[in-house]
Amino acid sequence: MNEMPRADALDKTTGRALYTADVRLPGMLHAKVLRSAVPHGLLRRIDATRARAMPGVHAVLTRDEIAPGTVPFYGYFIKDQPIVALDRVRYEGDILAAVAAETEWQAAAACAAIGVEIEPLPPVATIEAALAPGAPELFPDPPIGMVPHYGEGASATARPQPNVCFEFRYRMGDASVFAACDHVFEDAFRFSRMHHLHLEPFVSVADCSRDRIEIWSSCQNPFPLRKEIARMFRVPENRITVHVPYIGGGFGAKNNCKTEPIAVRLSQMTGRPVRFCLTMEEGFLTNTQHAAVLRLRTGVMADGTLVARQAEVLLDAGAYSDASPLVAEKAGYRAPGPYRWQHVDSVCRCVMTNTAPAGPFRGFGGTQAAWASESQIDMIARRLGIDPLEMRLRNALSLGEPYMPGESGIDSDLGLGLRLVADRIGWRSTNRQPNRGLGIALGFKDGGGVNKPAQARVKVSTSGDIFLQCGTVEIGQGVKTALTTIVAEIMGAPAHRVAVAPINTDSVPFDQGTNASSGIAVMGQAVAQAARRVRQQVVEFAAEMLNVSPSDVSLDDWHALHGAERVPLAPLVMRHFGGTGFEFSADGFFKAKHDPRAPLETPCVFWEIGWAAVEVEVDRETGRVTIPRLVVSGDAGRALHKAACRGQDEGAAIMGLGQALFERMVYDGTTLLNGEALEYRAPLAEDLPAEFLSITQEQGHGPGPFGAKGMGEGAMLPIAAAVANAIEDAVGVRITELPITPERVLTALHAKQESAA
Amino acid sequence: MTSLRLTFRLNGAAVSREVPTSAVLAELLREEFGCLGVKLACSRAVCGACTVLLDGAPVASCATFAFRAEGAEVTTIEGVPEDDPVRRAFAEHSAFQCGYCTPGMILLAKALLARNPQPTREEIVAWMSSGLCRCTGYQMIVEAVEIAGRAGAAA
Repeated sequence: MNEMPRADALDKTTGRALYTADVRLPGMLHAKVLRSAVPHGLLRRIDATRARAMPGVHAVLTRDEIAPGTVPFYGYFIKDQPIVALDRVRYEGDILAAVAAETEWQAAAACAAIGVEIEPLPPVATIEAALAPGAPELFPDPPIGMVPHYGEGASATARPQPNVCFEFRYRMGDASVFAACDHVFEDAFRFSRMHHLHLEPFVSVADCSRDRIEIWSSCQNPFPLRKEIARMFRVPENRITVHVPYIGGGFGAKNNCKTEPIAVRLSQMTGRPVRFCLTMEEGFLTNTQHAAVLRLRTGVMADGTLVARQAEVLLDAGAYSDASPLVAEKAGYRAPGPYRWQHVDSVCRCVMTNTAPAGPFRGFGGTQAAWASESQIDMIARRLGIDPLEMRLRNALSLGEPYMPGESGIDSDLGLGLRLVADRIGWRSTNRQPNRGLGIALGFKDGGGVNKPAQARVKVSTSGDIFLQCGTVEIGQGVKTALTTIVAEIMGAPAHRVAVAPINTDSVPFDQGTNASSGIAVMGQAVAQAARRVRQQVVEFAAEMLNVSPSDVSLDDWHALHGAERVPLAPLVMRHFGGTGFEFSADGFFKAKHDPRAPLETPCVFWEIGWAAVEVEVDRETGRVTIPRLVVSGDAGRALHKAACRGQDEGAAIMGLGQALFERMVYDGTTLLNGEALEYRAPLAEDLPAEFLSITQEQGHGPGPFGAKGMGEGAMLPIAAAVANAIEDAVGVRITELPITPERVLTALHAKQESAA
Repeated sequence: MTSLRLTFRLNGAAVSREVPTSAVLAELLREEFGCLGVKLACSRAVCGACTVLLDGAPVASCATFAFRAEGAEVTTIEGVPEDDPVRRAFAEHSAFQCGYCTPGMILLAKALLARNPQPTREEIVAWMSSGLCRCTGYQMIVEAVEIAGRAGAAA
């Protein structure tokens, strides 16, 4: 059976879908900003006198125009990023001033007329430079911040040392077990930095011309944005409305404050709506993935049994903390991988450098962790002469086995997925071609966010039209379709009777944000509860009207079924409530329960797994790696829309393949060299593997409605390690730094030849 | 600022506008004609989100002067009918996610099928590689073009 098209199919294939970039308001002004060309320095003077007199200019925002009594800093755990530079600049691209003018061109021209004097300070470009003794400090005075409460084994410290804004640590078991290991292996890995490259730019429109702040934003987290704007501008939250139309991709970047504080302040200053839309080039300077250095020390028995692991992960947080502390929690917590350990000691530090701020990126620390962990598991297997697939099967956690003490059980059969992708790639095949090799890897992350509540409302009109109101945004993942499916199935209604309400923070129930693959496993549970409750109301109403027992009534397309009777509901509603009718309405709620034993406050809601098997071909003359075959698989628990699930796995896998082979932000010191579309190489259709198979498993163990789980990040996690593992299988060299460029492969091949000679 | 009067056909209708000589086609289509399906992403003729058809040929409207439209037939996504086989294939095969590249991808595919109604998979991959999609991983887009090609052949 062909499934229905996605709920957003018509909007998005006709050009009718409205995005924030398309929002136009009467009298709207346009904002542009002046950015620092100096990576690190003291802002001695900033003078906008000339800029203010330029044609079309309505306002210039510098540190001198910050309203008294407001708090000009934003961030997650640590409020360290200023709206515009105050006393210091911290990266090339740091915002010095902003202009609102009639046109973008006029705003840009005025920016160029702002006088700036910066006294340069020595910059730190890399993790190593930032941690060196005597390194220049980005924040000599610690910014305001907090450390969350953790459960058993987990802890964190704010600013444990200069240029480290946050350190997360997780410990389990006794380190003495290392002494009993047959082997202890230490390996180090480097992870490169990508930009999200969402096609819709960072953009918002703010209107403060009336008695409230109204914001349209391409933002994944409308309610946290509202809270942050309220805190910064000292405005009550019920005087702020955030609208989120369709979002043209985010991949983690569009979290909390980005363009919004400047748009709001300029709108306050001018009394006019202000649109602030970044260019793609500015996007590269606004949020990125975390580059990382990872060291693993792993103790094993001779038969391949894993015993103990120490992990040290250093994340390059860039110039401002953004969500780095949250990413550090996850990178540190996920570093062991989904295996059975007697002892774990993991630490992750966020290191500040004078480069673009890093933040959430699909995989959220799990990608960095999986790159190192799944590479090392393979290296150990090969050193011990054990088949890498067998090594994983022997140590992988079983279905239902807790990840760590106090955690929830793993809700996918890891071995089932491993065998599935291994079979499809022909793992056992003896027909091996020269310079070709096979690799396998197992990606995993705790999904659904930490201690995250979700609320939803379902309403049904007299005529049986169903409204779904919830704060999860449609960013491309297909959440409107999936949540619609849940409501329709519970209500016994065709999917086209359900419409998802536009997101407006005054009219949809509170939500913490669209992140952590939480749409189905977290919000989906709240939506299902709301739908079941409203269904119960309707059933009880119909039973009363028909004078029968509710247990004998069921619903089908806005008819009450009772025995052989099929009674239309609309006339019953009007008979009881009058001709204008009524709306049945119910709310749903879900949150994982607190548990003091759970390392991260609550046991993980679900486990997001990505399996990959790949065949590579290595050109020994050029070092170029090509991908004849790639097999990826995720576990949707139950797929609420099969094509949407497939799209999530395939998109994630190709993003991972780009990271594995070529995609990266290239820095020369603190200067980004390829921060624009042409020179930043992201995957195109021509980069597709010759054969690319994705398999959506439906193992049925998810906590969401009908056994569903979250999707969208898992299939990215194993790709890079699977490729590196296949390269070792093909030509016997191990690449430990991403991306796996021809140069790195060739260097490794030459080194191997020399050591053999 | 020097201006000139442009007369061209937009999605089948004759239109005329006074525009600055420096006007860019994408801005003209979005701001003057309300064709908001013309998406701007890289604004450097790299990503293809702003692709429109100029006398049937795909162009990056973000980097095309508006005066190039003089006397031409301009097709944007707004000019693609709901029953168009390419549009339907993208919609029914879920060959989109966030949707920002989708108008450009659909127009790019239409230009391919107009030239080559039965392209091979390799031809589709090569042609569609002038558009950037960050969401789908491309395979479902390639399949949608194959489906549309078969639908065209059957029609």
